[in-house]
This record gives sequence, C-alpha cells and structure tokens, in this order.
Amino acid sequence: MHDRIAVLRADRGVSRKELADAVGVHPQTIGYVERGEYSPSLALALRIARFFDLPVEAVFSLDPLPSLSEELLRRTS
Amino acid sequence: MSTHPQQTYLARTFDDSRYDRARSRRTRRRAVLAEAALLAALVTATLVCAASPQGWSTWYFVVWTAGMLGFIPLHSLLNLGIRGVFDRSSRSLDEHQQELRERSYVAVAWPAWGLHFTAFAGAVALVALTDEVALGLCLGFLLWMTAGLLAYWHLAWTAPDEPTDADL
Repeated sequence: MHDRIAVLRADRGVSRKELADAVGVHPQTIGYVERGEYSPSLALALRIARFFDLPVEAVFSLDPLPSLSEELLRRTS
Repeated sequence: MSTHPQQTYLARTFDDSRYDRARSRRTRRRAVLAEAALLAALVTATLVCAASPQGWSTWYFVVWTAGMLGFIPLHSLLNLGIRGVFDRSSRSLDEHQQELRERSYVAVAWPAWGLHFTAFAGAVALVALTDEVALGLCLGFLLWMTAGLLAYWHLAWTAPDEPTDADL
C-alpha cells in the first residue's frame, strides 16, 4: 500500500507523535506505515484521512501515488 | 481495540526513550543469542550433572543460581528491545504491535509445541534413568521456559529497525 502521510505531515507541520496521538497509535506505527512496512487497518486509514481532512483515497492507494506537485500542475494546466 | 492504547506504568517503561539503544536490531539479536546460549548452557549443565555419579551437587546449584540471576537482566534487555509486547496488556498495544505479537506466536507455534513435549518427555526420561527428581524438574523447567521464550526470540530477531525519532 502507498500513502502520502509523510508529505502531508510535512505540509501541515505535524510531527509523527502528534499524528499518532490524534489517531490512537504509537508513533513507531506511523513510521512503519510511512515506510510501507505496515498496511494499516481500514479504521486506522480512515482516522488518518479524517485527521488531514481528506478522502481516504487521497492519502492511501494500492498504486504508487503521483507527487502532489505533479497533481497540482495537472489540475492547473 | 480501543482507539487510544492505554499507557499503563509498564507500557510507559517499555516506551521510554532512554532505552532506544536496546531497540536496535543488532542489540536485540545479540540479546537473543545470549539468552539462547545461557539456556543451552544450563541444559548442558543439568545433563552433565545427571550423568555424573554424585547427581545433584553444590556446583550445579551454584551454576543454576548464577544462570537464573543472569537471565533477569538479559531478558529485561530483550524485552525493552521489543517494547515488552508479550508482557503488556493488549489494551496498551496498538494494532501494529498486536499484529507483531500474533505473527510471532503463530510462527513458533509448532516448535513451541515440540519443546513443551520435549520438556515433559525429557524430565520423565531423566528421572527414569537417574532417579534424580530435582534434576528432572530442572530440565523440564528449562525446556518449558525455552518454549515460552521462542516467540520473544522470533520477534526480537525478525522485527525491522524502528523508524528514527528525529521528527517526533
């Protein structure tokens, strides 16, 4: 599973610990998800998406996600 | 599971950042090897003592006591390395930690069953052959303990290095 958590955290200025506290897991688990070494449960994926106020498919995908800058460029062009 | 893992006193101890060095894969693997070597040495000492003509002896008692005392800090180190996921309440673990715990339990289920059987059979055989009940109990206890430790060893050996905490 691919995700944009690290990018979104950097964009929003949220630390791994803050996100972990908000969604109810340990900070290491967020790290494992970011590294692609753990696929979160549906409930956790939904909580993470809700934290960023985004639809879950904008944060997680079964296919590699395009970079946000690419997507922004595509939408504005 | 609850949304937020409960942070019990035990859980806080295992998550304490002062023990980060114990959580590196290298340290965890060394602790596994040391613990396995200690138990192998104690089993060997038990068998040597049982094979000797005098049976239960002072040197064996000293070796047993030293081994058990040495096991305490060694297992503490190992447990810190895996954040004590086998000894904490499930409520203090998040879904990933619970998955790691279940994975290791499943991976060692058959070897652990075999060791439990060997503990019983070995103890009975030793008593039958030597009439040394105390040594039979010691051998059975050591193998039973090893069976219980297999899941700890599996997790400590296979768990990937934790993500760095630089941006926590």
